[in-house]
Amino acid sequence: RRVEITFVKHDGTRLKAKGKVGESLLDVVVNNGLALEGYGACEGTLTCSTCQVILTQEDYDRLPDSPEGEESDMLELARDSTPTSRLGCQIVLSEDLDGLEVNVPESPNDIRIQ
Amino acid sequence: MSGFKHLCSISSVNKIPYRLSHKSHLEALKERIISGPSLQDFINNPKPVLEDDPAAWKDYDGRLKRTKEEKSRLRLPPWLKTSIPAGKKFSELKDQLRKLNLHTVCEEARCPNIGECWGGGEHGTATATIMVVTLTVLLLGDTCTRGCRFCSVKTSRTPPPPDPNEPVNTATAIASWGLDYIVLTSVDRDDLPDGGSNHFAETVRELKKRKSEILVECLVPDFRGDLDAVKTIVDSGLDVYAHNIETVEALTPFVRDRRAKYRQSLATLEAVKKFNPDMITKSSIMLGLGETDEEVRQTLVDLKSAGVDCVTLGQYMQPTKRHLLVVEYVTPEKYQYWEKVGNDMKFLYVASGPLVRSSYKAGEFFIASILKNRKSSTA
Repeated sequence: RRVEITFVKHDGTRLKAKGKVGESLLDVVVNNGLALEGYGACEGTLTCSTCQVILTQEDYDRLPDSPEGEESDMLELARDSTPTSRLGCQIVLSEDLDGLEVNVPESPNDIRIQ
Repeated sequence: MSGFKHLCSISSVNKIPYRLSHKSHLEALKERIISGPSLQDFINNPKPVLEDDPAAWKDYDGRLKRTKEEKSRLRLPPWLKTSIPAGKKFSELKDQLRKLNLHTVCEEARCPNIGECWGGGEHGTATATIMVVTLTVLLLGDTCTRGCRFCSVKTSRTPPPPDPNEPVNTATAIASWGLDYIVLTSVDRDDLPDGGSNHFAETVRELKKRKSEILVECLVPDFRGDLDAVKTIVDSGLDVYAHNIETVEALTPFVRDRRAKYRQSLATLEAVKKFNPDMITKSSIMLGLGETDEEVRQTLVDLKSAGVDCVTLGQYMQPTKRHLLVVEYVTPEKYQYWEKVGNDMKFLYVASGPLVRSSYKAGEFFIASILKNRKSSTA
């Protein structure tokens, strides 16, 4: 069963992609070759914050778990993280998450590339 | 060929089987394959792109800079195409590295110059950047504790502990290879209290013990700004202390891991000069990540203020799909412009070009600049 996720970039571009239940958001980005640069630099080992996504409060609350230990360390390191930020490599797809929309933080090149 | 005899004694210590006294049929076959036709010969194009006249590069009309509408990757311009690595020396080096379980950043970070550097250049002196693997040889020994968006080296929170035999093994191997200049580098090891600096320094000492005349450059991490670690490296007896600033200040938080910081990196380079004013320092910048000319100029100024002697500028190339897209392919002419800017700022040497990397021809540049200095001081 395939679950659809939408990644919304800072400039409003919407990237829709599907993944299997049990895969992470990082898997969805990589497997679909989505145009999110440098996403998942540490390959999902909780050693960076490049896969950060920002959720609505509602979606953040309905995820089965909350960031703990290593994930929250990395989010803290990110400094542009928000109270409803999660690491994409830690969000696991389930049927409930079909249609989930997440925001991707702004990158310096979002302004620079014209 | 004496290097091979040396290897034989190492491998008997480590119990790695290695036949030298006679060639088996397999060995002979391998040799024939290595010296026979290469893949390039079979590709159905008698004139591969490499033989393009560099003067024709000016006429390249493909897009060099990403725009907002650019959905996919920019195409690789002709001046960045390199040959598929092959050849006897390349295969020999690769073989030796595998047998000793050593890893190179050349392979791990997929450097495009690998064929050229390992092949030995026109003088036949190979410069190889060996990763000082502060990791046990049980894994591939190539794992970093940080995840930078431009780098394809593997990442883990808890890489395996360093192999205590590695300094000696590495030093013995390098001393036997007949190199004149060696660059030692490592991954970041934020999990170790000293960031791996003692292991690094030990390797330098062991190497100098075995071959005192070899020139040693250490391309080190920032050690999270720990100046004791910097001093450990400085005191080890190396010849060149290198640490890469990587990019301009504004892009640093995005391009590098969050634990890396522009000012922190500059501080470590500056500290080297306090510990030893005669130590040569070096840094490198990647172009093509979205930086402006003014930002690059400022970075060169900052490096010069920190006392950095040598600087290299090269083109960022996207190592895998998961890494940053190239924002701009800077032209060869522009690299020459930066070389002039750097020389006008009186750096000891500036290596600038699309395929230039921190340790690209490091030995040759270094030796050339020493000779240049010597000539001008006696003039």
